[in-house]
Amino acid sequence: MNLALRVNGRTIHADVEPETMLVDVLREHAGLTGPRVTCGVGLCGTCTVLMDEQPVSACILMAPLAQGTEITTIEGIPEDDAVVRCFDRHHAFQCGFCIPGMVLTGRAMVAEGHAADREEIREGLGGNLCRCGCYLKIIDAIEEAAQ
Amino acid sequence: MNTSTARARRDQDNNEGTGNARLRPGETSAVQGVNPRITAGIRYATDGGIPGEWHLRIIRSSVPAGRVTGFQTALLDDEIIFLTPDDVDAAGLPAFGCQIADQTVLTREPKFVGDAIAAVLAPTLAAARIAASLVEVSYERAPAVFDEMAAIAPDALLVHRSHATSESDSAYFDMRPQDGTNVCHRFRIRTAALQGRQEPNVITELDDSDTALADAFAQADVIIDEVFHTPAAAHVPMEPHATNAQWVEGRLEVVTGTQTPFNMRQDLAHIFGLAADDVRIVVPPMGGAFGAKTFIRTEAITALAARVSGRPVRCVLDRDEVFNEVTRHPSTVRIRLGAKADGTFVAKRIWAYVNTGAYADCGPGVAQKMGYAGVGPYRFEHVAVDSYCIYTNLPPGGAFRGYGAMQSVWASERAVDLLADRLGIDAVELRRQNLLREGDTFCTGEVMHDSHFEELLDDAASAVGWEKDGDRAGKGVAIMLKGMQTPSKAEARIQLLPDGRYEVQAGTADMGQGASEMLTRLAAEYLKCDVDQIVVCTPDTDRVPYDTRTTSSRSTHMMSRALADAAQDLLQHGTVGHGYVSNDGGLDPDTGQGVASSHWHQGSAAASLDVDEETGVITLRTLYASSYAGKVVNPHGADLQNEGSMILGLGSALFEELQFSDGQMTNPNLSDYNIASALDVVSISHKVMQIPGAEVHGLGETAVPPVPPAIGNAVASFGYHVTRLPMTPERVLAAAPSHEQASPPVGHIQGEEGA
Repeated sequence: MNLALRVNGRTIHADVEPETMLVDVLREHAGLTGPRVTCGVGLCGTCTVLMDEQPVSACILMAPLAQGTEITTIEGIPEDDAVVRCFDRHHAFQCGFCIPGMVLTGRAMVAEGHAADREEIREGLGGNLCRCGCYLKIIDAIEEAAQ
Repeated sequence: MNTSTARARRDQDNNEGTGNARLRPGETSAVQGVNPRITAGIRYATDGGIPGEWHLRIIRSSVPAGRVTGFQTALLDDEIIFLTPDDVDAAGLPAFGCQIADQTVLTREPKFVGDAIAAVLAPTLAAARIAASLVEVSYERAPAVFDEMAAIAPDALLVHRSHATSESDSAYFDMRPQDGTNVCHRFRIRTAALQGRQEPNVITELDDSDTALADAFAQADVIIDEVFHTPAAAHVPMEPHATNAQWVEGRLEVVTGTQTPFNMRQDLAHIFGLAADDVRIVVPPMGGAFGAKTFIRTEAITALAARVSGRPVRCVLDRDEVFNEVTRHPSTVRIRLGAKADGTFVAKRIWAYVNTGAYADCGPGVAQKMGYAGVGPYRFEHVAVDSYCIYTNLPPGGAFRGYGAMQSVWASERAVDLLADRLGIDAVELRRQNLLREGDTFCTGEVMHDSHFEELLDDAASAVGWEKDGDRAGKGVAIMLKGMQTPSKAEARIQLLPDGRYEVQAGTADMGQGASEMLTRLAAEYLKCDVDQIVVCTPDTDRVPYDTRTTSSRSTHMMSRALADAAQDLLQHGTVGHGYVSNDGGLDPDTGQGVASSHWHQGSAAASLDVDEETGVITLRTLYASSYAGKVVNPHGADLQNEGSMILGLGSALFEELQFSDGQMTNPNLSDYNIASALDVVSISHKVMQIPGAEVHGLGETAVPPVPPAIGNAVASFGYHVTRLPMTPERVLAAAPSHEQASPPVGHIQGEEGA
């Protein structure tokens, strides 16, 4: 089927099978490498994108369901974004594979006022895994961005 | 409270230790602007690709042992290329393996569920997936063995009929395969008085009386004799294994996520009958590795597919394949520890049974390190270690952050606490009394230098408010030493570019530990220039000089000195500087004497926790680790490495375990196999211990091994004597102190009083 998706403010066209997952359309048809596949079952958060500002797992979201929404990937976030800058200031990354998903999740938490303290931030990050174990600095970064 | 104090102390240390890197004010990395790892500005092997490449899917054995009797491929489209062991034979590809030559590119005789038996190649990934699902395989099944103790038993069936040592550089010590058994390597330590005895080749029973060496314990008033277990675990790099390969005018070019580019080059050259110079390995940044991306994984089959098809080929593993590709060695470790009544350690005996699965991989090296790390940073009159690397029909075990040390430190540091309880001596004081100090001799004959065990022990104890001879309910400590790859070599080159910048050419692979950041900062320091003037090239065996590999926390220590040498050479001689360092040594496999490590990774951990006596759930109040770093190059990176190691250790301690049913992994996904999340880290604090003027030490793994025994010792202080990791609520409850016995506070202790 022919899909038209709004991604980072522009329109992406893709001719795909209807069961194609959003992450595959973003990677293979839109050329975006920020959304990544790690667990493939919507648990680790590496594939996180924002759909109308809400974090979703693009590895288990069928692409047609994203039509009519605004998708934002890390590539659509400006470098002077407060959360991005706080991740940089706190050196909140190691390999970086999970970090775009962390930034997008953190951004939604900050925007909605769900980053009031470290406990709330930890709860909000429960669906984003980082095997390098950068959690303490990630929490530092989001805590500062929320202030 | 406790946490914030420790955090503040850490920050203060770091500010003092920021050192000589000339970063721009307010920036935390040498990269100008926002670091591209945050904004997806870097490309991993899984993002890249060679134009026109086809997609490879591996067909894997569904039986743990047996023989493939046929493939039914009638449903495959004509364009699909189907590869079998016949193609491997037709190409004349020999057996390979980094330490034992026991693998083939595709096998007719699968030895674990998941073994690669065939492959399909298609123009799209979707077509490759469909094709792989349409191939039917028939097998003749054979009996299998999964447990390391069953596999070492005298009548065990043999996983491999014979043993063949590899000629790879990765086989850096003499192998001691035990013919007619599943033991592909036996490593021993025998201190002077215990050498030259008549002994059995292999000790197969966990209650062996060890009569040949029993006199080592003659002076001991108390002996602890206990068995501990560690299960298989998964590395879970967030980025799966991803390989792209093509043949260009007879040369093999591979772009792949690997920690071992030069071993890869040598091993692929061996397999394909090429000169090493005719193989090119390019290593983009990896999305995590933790040991999973060492030696040949998907590279050989991808290269074969590229050669057969005459096209570039790409292979990216699915998550369940990543789980089965390589694991942490399941291990059974028996510790016998003897001391005099005043607490002086007399003798230690270790039997380590290391389950390396279907292929040895670097299991012999892991077994060696497990063997000597279990001795710990203590003085003994006598030490005897037997460490067996044992084949089974599980997925292969390989390098895993901690490299065997975790399994034996878990056992040995738990045993020290059992001994302390028996002796009625404070567990911290008992350790202090026996610690290796500057100038003391380790069981390998090495004289200790730059040793800081006492400061590390004190730091850990104070982090949990340990009171000498006071109430230690819910508190535990552990201390450990771990070696670095010895022998090894590192070379670096620095080239002055026409625009006045300097390019650093080094084989250190970046898997998230910050290799490129480290090289940038140090090159700027050595060349007395700004970090903006340094460019670090991607590891590419056509462009960078030789380096042993990026493992064993060796790179910052070894490559930093090669780089300093290269900078000095450049400053003296103009436009190109070359640097080289090597560390020499190695251990005799029969006596364990020699040089285990040219420097020591030294670390401690402490835990303070509660155990719910109804549910068995452990709640951490404080988890602390203190690691010796010498000089710190990148303070944020050092914090992250230490915290990451602790968090991995926490998962190993409390919940990570690969499970199998008849050899088939039953939880190869992140739903059934949990790793630590942000919800698990509330109790964590740590210290990176720096000493002014000290040399750079590795820090990539130090805090992994001491975490599980520190937690285990804290749990045992309530009477729960858990011997099997992870310490799940069920295991804690099963280890509950019996209410009927007025027993010693640490539950059951095997063994008997010494003479």
